[in-house]
Amino acid sequence: MTADRFRLLVSGVLIVGVVTSATLIALGVIGAIAVGWSGSLSGAQASADAATAFSAMGANLAALRPVGLAQLGLVVLLATPVARVGASVAAFVLEGDRLYAGITTIVLVVLLASLFILR
Amino acid sequence: MTLQADLGIFAVSLIAGVIGALAGVGGGILVVPALTLIFGVDIRLAIGASIVSVIATSSGAAAAYVRDRITDMRVGMFLELATTSGAVCGALLAAVVAPAALYVLLGVVLLFSAAQQVLRLGEELPPVASASPLAARLRLVGSYPDARLGHDVRYAAQRVPLGFVLMAGAGLVSGLLGIGSGALKVLAMDGAMRLPMKVSSATSNFMIGVTAAASAGIYLGRGDVDPTLAAPVALGVLAGATLGARVMPRLSNRSVRLVFLPVLLVVGIQTLLRGLGVGV
Repeated sequence: MTADRFRLLVSGVLIVGVVTSATLIALGVIGAIAVGWSGSLSGAQASADAATAFSAMGANLAALRPVGLAQLGLVVLLATPVARVGASVAAFVLEGDRLYAGITTIVLVVLLASLFILR
Repeated sequence: MTLQADLGIFAVSLIAGVIGALAGVGGGILVVPALTLIFGVDIRLAIGASIVSVIATSSGAAAAYVRDRITDMRVGMFLELATTSGAVCGALLAAVVAPAALYVLLGVVLLFSAAQQVLRLGEELPPVASASPLAARLRLVGSYPDARLGHDVRYAAQRVPLGFVLMAGAGLVSGLLGIGSGALKVLAMDGAMRLPMKVSSATSNFMIGVTAAASAGIYLGRGDVDPTLAAPVALGVLAGATLGARVMPRLSNRSVRLVFLPVLLVVGIQTLLRGLGVGV
């Protein structure tokens, strides 16, 4: 893998993450202007959950609530750096750089562990 | 929130995104006080929104800096070993350490560093030096294309162990206090490792998203991220960071330092005040 392709892979993961999350969040904002944050684009009953309850994201999405779209967009945004570290592991492995494949794998493990330890 | 308030938050976040992308910091220094002081948002939700802003600045700016070869990915990945481990230790220690004294200490360190930055204001590039055996072994040497100077600039990381320790400290501080980690990262790469200012800023931008992501799960789980507030923040910061990342390659290293210095002063003063019990 050439250095150029390496950079395009890592940069590409960041661009896909950013564009996907911005699109979902923007759709949520447009929906909120139309029917309110906890209203529903499918005409279902309004949600009683607080907007900060990410555990209700699935239900919010199923009812096409704008708040659900924004929640999913934010989760995609917060997951983008993790995906970027994952892509870096793959890129260093493909480049045959064992030292940095190892370093990056440790970072990924610490990062994933922190998501489970720190709660 | 009214539509006017949302537009106001979007505008402030856009400015925070531009400054964050240029200076290598997350924009929380602007987002948190603006949300609490201007828009009357609860500090807990403002900090939740600032975590979103750090990750948005990082991903938005780094997408361009990685492609444009300004971010040094080996330096970034090597130092992320230190910052992520430091951040986990910091978050675990947060329950047993009283933060007031730490805020004061960090504030003083940042303000001292600001004085050191003033002395470097005239410097365009760090002095050329050869790589130490450790830097060569870790391949912490490289070059970046400088659109302003019109040629590639070569550099080699100096004082790698000191840089690594400072980065662990930056991670520890961000895990403990949740602030100042971008400013400390730029200081470690510019001040200790003597990387060019643009490389330091772009590599800090690359790294801060990962440090923030390590603690983002806690904020989501605690209910500190309010989508109705975080949505305009995320959209504004993403737009601003994309804009800032288009401008930065054409600036001189001196100009980037000129943007970084006031940011450093504000973070230093905010941190000191927080330690003295004045919340801003």
